[in-house]
Amino acid sequence: MTTQVASLPPSAASPDRLVRLVASGAVIVTILYLILYGLYALWEPSALTAYTFGSLVNNTAPLAIAAAGETLVILARGFDLSVAGVISLTNVVMASYPVDGPGGALLSLMLCMAVGGIVGAVNGYLVAVLRLQTIAATLGTMIICQGLSLVILDAPGGVVSDFVADTLTDTLFGFVPVSGLIVAAVVGAWLMLRRTDLGVALYTIGTDEAAAALSGVRVARTRFLAFVAAGMVYGIAGFMLTAQTVTGNPNSGSPFLMLTFAAVALGGTSLSGGRGGLVGSIMGAALLMLLQKVLFSGGVSSFYTGIFQGAVLVLAIVFSRALTHLLERSRA
Amino acid sequence: MTPATLDPALSASKDERRVTRVRPELVTVLSTFALSALLIVASRFVSPALGSWGQAATVVSLSSFLIVAAFGQGLVILVGGLDLSVASLITLSAVLCTTWVGPEAGAAGILLIPAILVVCALIGAVSGLGITVLGIPPFIMTMATGIIVAAGALGYTSGTPRGSAPAPLLALMKGEVAGIPLLLIFTAAFVIAAAVLQQATGFGRRLYAVGASARAAFVAGVPVTRTVVAAYMLSATASGVAGLMLVGYSDGATLRMGDSYLLPTIAAVVVGGSSILGGSGSFVATVGGAVLLTTLGTVIAALGIGQGWRTVIEGSIILIALLLLRENTFARIRSWFPR
Amino acid sequence: MGTWKTGRAGALTTTLTTALMAALVGTAALGGPAAADEKKIKVYLSLSYSGNAWQSEAANVVKALAATPPYDKLVELKEVISGTDPQAQISAYESMIDAGAQGIISFPVSATALNRVVKRGCSKGVKFFMYDATVTEPCAYNVSYVTAGFGENSAQALVNALGGKGKIFLSRGVPGNSVDKRHTDGAMSVFKKYPGIQVVSEYYSFWDDRTTQQETGKALAAHPDVDGIWAQAGEYGAIQALKDKGSKLVPVTGENSNGFRLALMDPAAKQAGLTGVSAGSPPATAGYAFKLMMEVLTAKRKLEPQNIEYPLPWVPADQVKVCKGQKFEDGCNAFPPNVVPNSFVTEVFNPELLPELSLQSALEGKPTPGATIQPLPAEVKRAPDSPGINCQPCKAPADEYKVTKVEVKPAR
Repeated sequence: MTTQVASLPPSAASPDRLVRLVASGAVIVTILYLILYGLYALWEPSALTAYTFGSLVNNTAPLAIAAAGETLVILARGFDLSVAGVISLTNVVMASYPVDGPGGALLSLMLCMAVGGIVGAVNGYLVAVLRLQTIAATLGTMIICQGLSLVILDAPGGVVSDFVADTLTDTLFGFVPVSGLIVAAVVGAWLMLRRTDLGVALYTIGTDEAAAALSGVRVARTRFLAFVAAGMVYGIAGFMLTAQTVTGNPNSGSPFLMLTFAAVALGGTSLSGGRGGLVGSIMGAALLMLLQKVLFSGGVSSFYTGIFQGAVLVLAIVFSRALTHLLERSRA
Repeated sequence: MTPATLDPALSASKDERRVTRVRPELVTVLSTFALSALLIVASRFVSPALGSWGQAATVVSLSSFLIVAAFGQGLVILVGGLDLSVASLITLSAVLCTTWVGPEAGAAGILLIPAILVVCALIGAVSGLGITVLGIPPFIMTMATGIIVAAGALGYTSGTPRGSAPAPLLALMKGEVAGIPLLLIFTAAFVIAAAVLQQATGFGRRLYAVGASARAAFVAGVPVTRTVVAAYMLSATASGVAGLMLVGYSDGATLRMGDSYLLPTIAAVVVGGSSILGGSGSFVATVGGAVLLTTLGTVIAALGIGQGWRTVIEGSIILIALLLLRENTFARIRSWFPR
Repeated sequence: MGTWKTGRAGALTTTLTTALMAALVGTAALGGPAAADEKKIKVYLSLSYSGNAWQSEAANVVKALAATPPYDKLVELKEVISGTDPQAQISAYESMIDAGAQGIISFPVSATALNRVVKRGCSKGVKFFMYDATVTEPCAYNVSYVTAGFGENSAQALVNALGGKGKIFLSRGVPGNSVDKRHTDGAMSVFKKYPGIQVVSEYYSFWDDRTTQQETGKALAAHPDVDGIWAQAGEYGAIQALKDKGSKLVPVTGENSNGFRLALMDPAAKQAGLTGVSAGSPPATAGYAFKLMMEVLTAKRKLEPQNIEYPLPWVPADQVKVCKGQKFEDGCNAFPPNVVPNSFVTEVFNPELLPELSLQSALEGKPTPGATIQPLPAEVKRAPDSPGINCQPCKAPADEYKVTKVEVKPAR
């Protein structure tokens, strides 16, 4: 797999910081995003209104947060398929046990994060302690979560409190989407975590597990915590999805499985670990959701939408890789 | 690229590793089959009609598709990749089979079947080249080809696949020779051929070498790009074969035909003990994994409980099987019986 | 992978990709927002997933009608496929509303998740017509057979065929789906009344022939002595699974695939024990919904948003009749096997409501040569309330699961 020279831990200073920043996946995917948004606005002038942007952010938030969680696991060289199961599970839990008011919303959020955290802890135990392969262990937990979702809610329905449904999809001061603030909060938490020993350890394990262990990183503990944190973040994604769809659906997480990985890869995080970050994944998710809008406004024939989606996916990756390459060479 | 002359030192060290590799794998193979047999026998408690040869026959016919598709997935995983285009390629070959060949195909029509597999192989080549030459992660590249192929099949059929299965495929799936189902003979032949290809040829050894370390293999003169592309081509072809078998089985094609096979192919490979990171694993163990998963499906289907709990049990058994099949479990069991 | 030889092709690749990107976007632009014809009514067709025969037939029917005079001059129809993900359909509806849609005809993938965007569309004057599947938002028009009692009627027919006694399979639809639940609840309301009926296996077919065949195969391994199968769409797969197992067939009730109808009228299959009823979800609903919508949009009809019931197709084994031509004529209701695939859903036609359609319309979305749009009957049938399906909160009528198509025989 990819054996490129791994990036230095993010705290390490470097004279080429600017070049590195520009070459990082997050910046490239943001540039792509802005180009596509320009195109979208060209074809659909209402794209520039606060409402349209707000609804796009609302639509993006669940996938963006899910991709952020997945990034934690992937950085430490793992795959977490349970993302689809946790989103379904938290979605049906929330719709089955609605609590009113702002306090209720907070309680629901805690509940979602707790559910996600528990699933993450199971994953973490299976992977870090029992040493199962990540993709296999999380496939099992994903299937179990899907089953539990069906047990809790056997058909779409349930009730979502008005506060969650309305406030979380609203805008502040007429232009700041609340869902965007939640995504920002996740990013904030990540920026803090990244500076800690745990954050650094994630990258080190992903780059070279044996070397990390030799240099005193507690590999099993770090990996376990990565899964728990990821699970909690998926819980937030499930929470935001419920706010957006205002309903419980035992299959609601399934579409997230592939999209999450696509978002992470688009955001420049190496799927073999050690390189990348949360912000890129979030922008990757935003790009995927924007793509639907651009293809719609561009009038791409419905049957062949998939061909464009696939092609853009590949081209975006090739583009960002080539650009990174060029920048690295010009630096050398 | 230099021809595939393995460094004598490297091949010597590889041989040594193969000896150590084979033993736990043999145990995995035996355990998956033993677990399957145990499940079939134990399923008598679920329903008295189960635990019979009839059930075993059902398992064989249902697992044959998975075995074929999982062979390709296994090769790709062996070289450190992943093939997410399995589902779309199954669908594509099924759709092409019913539209190009159709039920009234003569000898000329039958010749189109290899053509369908060539189409699949070419799509696999595109994935492989994207991964090796352009450096796109396998996950994304095969996901993208999968999405593109699915959209192509959708557009090509305008949403309604026409036609039904050609007679030879119906015969393959439903026919018998001397009382033995043709499908059983075909599957056995496929497993033997595939296992020989993977385990006993130079190409197979190169796959292992690339999977263990692409860089080392490159240094040792293995044509890495060619080997990896070949793995993806074989995977796409195997998916194509599975698609053809499904056409024979259900006498027609639908655009969702392959959907339910993607995750099971990965699960079969991993339950069979292969490392998802590549470089290790055997096809016979994957077959064991496929048979185990299918057996599990038939037993769970017979449980008289709601779908939710059934799914929970399915997931739990996968986890239990993974835990039981861990190498150090066997090491521990062996340590209980000192010789 | 691939980075073991860090390429010198970096610059080349960048140029190439940039060019390709530009080309890609350029192609999109070409087919792109053509200057919309101001005079035409702007209607969007939003599909969930054109992956099975049912979905594409329903879409084709709408496309064919939109191209039939005089609608070809009146309406500009655009099709959008957004997949089974409610979020994607939310995004598609948003885009359609922003693009100035006057009407949206759609197969909604969720009864509840789309409510918010539907409501916003309504407030902007967009008419939403949902076919087959429904939404609970009251400002949308739901046109569906779902409340017409497929589950309970087909269950009663199976009970009657079995003489009130026997082991049966339930071949259900998609787990966690509200339509599947409505059908199954209806069916169980009947089966529960007969102590002699024993549901020995219940599995999910995902409304797909092949999945049904495999799942039925698994169930048959455990219960080879089954006496009857109650199936939702995918029923032809159940018959194939029975045939795979040997010669004995049993009564099967299911939906409207051509393969199933032909099997029901096949003397050899009948001899082997097959009988049953073909009923269930008709793609023709989409055509009816579209014509209703056009009459509302062209002010030919005044109709407040409401739930409208499409009649349940009901074809017992002895009434299957193969059509000679392109249409349902002289009471025929199936097509010869070489004309359409087995998975083709026959109920695309309705001689009274949709005389404009022919086989070509259903298969290719093309108008029938010479046909013109005929007005619909003035009356529409209001659908009863069905909580979580076409309204929320609301109460189902007491006779929700009343059997209407067959005689209810008392349990012994």
